[in-house]
Amino acid sequence: MERIAVSAVRKSFNLKPGQTVTVDGVTSSRIAVLDGVDLTIDSGEFITLVGPSGSGKSVLLDVIAGLTEATSGVARIDGVEVVKPHARTAYVFQQYALFPWRTALQNVEYALEVRGVPATERRERAKDFLHLFGLKGFEDRFPSQLSGGMQQRVAIARALSTDPQVLLMDEPFAALDAQTRDILQSELLRIWEQIKTTVVFVTHSIDEAIYLADRVVVMTARPASVKEIVKIDLPRPRDLEIRNSEAFNAYRGRVWESLRDEVGKAQRDWTLASTYAN
Amino acid sequence: MSLIADRNLPLRNTFSLRRKRTPSKAPSAFSETVSTITLGLPALVAFALLWEIAPRAGWINALFFPPLSQVLAVLWEMIVSGQLADHIGISLQRAAIGFLLAVVTAVPLGFLMGRYSLFEKASDFLVQTLRNTSQFALLPVFILVLGIGEASKIAITFYAAVFFLLINTIVGVKSVDPLLVKAARSMGTSDWDLFKKVIFPSAIPSIVAGARLGVKTSLFSVIAAEMLAAQSGIGYLIQNSSLMLETDRMYAGILTLTIIGLLLNYLLVAGERRATHWRGSGESGPN
Repeated sequence: MERIAVSAVRKSFNLKPGQTVTVDGVTSSRIAVLDGVDLTIDSGEFITLVGPSGSGKSVLLDVIAGLTEATSGVARIDGVEVVKPHARTAYVFQQYALFPWRTALQNVEYALEVRGVPATERRERAKDFLHLFGLKGFEDRFPSQLSGGMQQRVAIARALSTDPQVLLMDEPFAALDAQTRDILQSELLRIWEQIKTTVVFVTHSIDEAIYLADRVVVMTARPASVKEIVKIDLPRPRDLEIRNSEAFNAYRGRVWESLRDEVGKAQRDWTLASTYAN
Repeated sequence: MSLIADRNLPLRNTFSLRRKRTPSKAPSAFSETVSTITLGLPALVAFALLWEIAPRAGWINALFFPPLSQVLAVLWEMIVSGQLADHIGISLQRAAIGFLLAVVTAVPLGFLMGRYSLFEKASDFLVQTLRNTSQFALLPVFILVLGIGEASKIAITFYAAVFFLLINTIVGVKSVDPLLVKAARSMGTSDWDLFKKVIFPSAIPSIVAGARLGVKTSLFSVIAAEMLAAQSGIGYLIQNSSLMLETDRMYAGILTLTIIGLLLNYLLVAGERRATHWRGSGESGPN
């Protein structure tokens, strides 16, 4: 069953006053980031997006999340065009985005609070989700008192506490050390196997992309479109050892080959990319 | 952003910085307080002794500098007779009313200015102009317009505090992490909830820091106003005693003011800590 449908989504941004870019001899004060992205995602599917830095993967997530409007084209969830944040979409960010003045428990409660869930019920739900992520005993800690891995666990618990149909994750493990990253990938898969929500996960790591996904979507350099979709036929549940398997190696080679040209293009485009990144 | 830098940070902050660097041998808060007192007390005692001895020994004129014991005796007399409480009460009341009026004006206004850039651009010039006009220079204006009664004193305390609060509210609102706003929006936060649950709490530390500065200037301004035009209050007590050459009374008034200032600072620092306790143990106030 189709859950997310992105069709012909284009997005361009206005540059700061006085700045211009020249692409193929045409000078403009607007910069194109997404150039006709088409993508359909089934319900319960785990999709990872890889692409060169600054290729607009996060912008695509923002469009699906209803946080930014596409310049043209539409994103639909269950056939309904996304124009504002959907009640059953949750978003997880690289920098955790926890409210520093709220405890771990209160952070998880927040998502339920703004939805009007009664206090006692949301407290119970938030506790359950913290426990699910192994955070029993840390309910009353503030984010400043938690490690990066724990903070991201809280953020994921917060996202899942609302029982989302769509979970958007923007490089959620990129700021963590390698071991923590491995652990969180496995934890995420373990929980996802149980709830089977639809996940769109942006990453820079090819290994992470293959390990997690049903399908890896390779994006072109900016302005981005879908270059190739690689279906990952690895058995589930997967453990970390699978990364040493031959099949995994083959996927790694395949995704890297697809990505290599785009990374090269993006590097030539670096000066441009850095002006737009701000 | 440090339009208003607090030059009055308590000494304790330096200690907590040091404590952060050497967590293994961290002294407890209690032993730290004890060491602060034992190390700091000798200088204070020496000052008190000098104050006591110098006029008695005739090194300085006892008419202008009565010995400390004489000042304390007068102070005690005024406490017992209830005279001092009356003066303190009226001064604090004036400062508190002016300060509270400043809070209810500055905080909403600061939110508008911090949140809507058009509104800020429209009002910035006026605010900067008013901010740089001394509240003391305006006292005659307040008296002309509001009369010599309570209103003009409340006006000067209001004016003294309002800009600290306003500017710190603007800074606080502007410094809200855009990622938190984005995260809140992604969770379907309404505009009102965004204001109440995200922008306001993240502006609190800055507002509280502004309030701390505002409370002090409110109090000091009311003292100055009472010296110039009042029949009551600590400022009046000090000024009037000076005119009557009752210097022991005058110093008793000054000491009272010092004690109030110390207590107030202690309360405000404690309040600030409470408001920012989530920042983690090693950190102190904003900016």
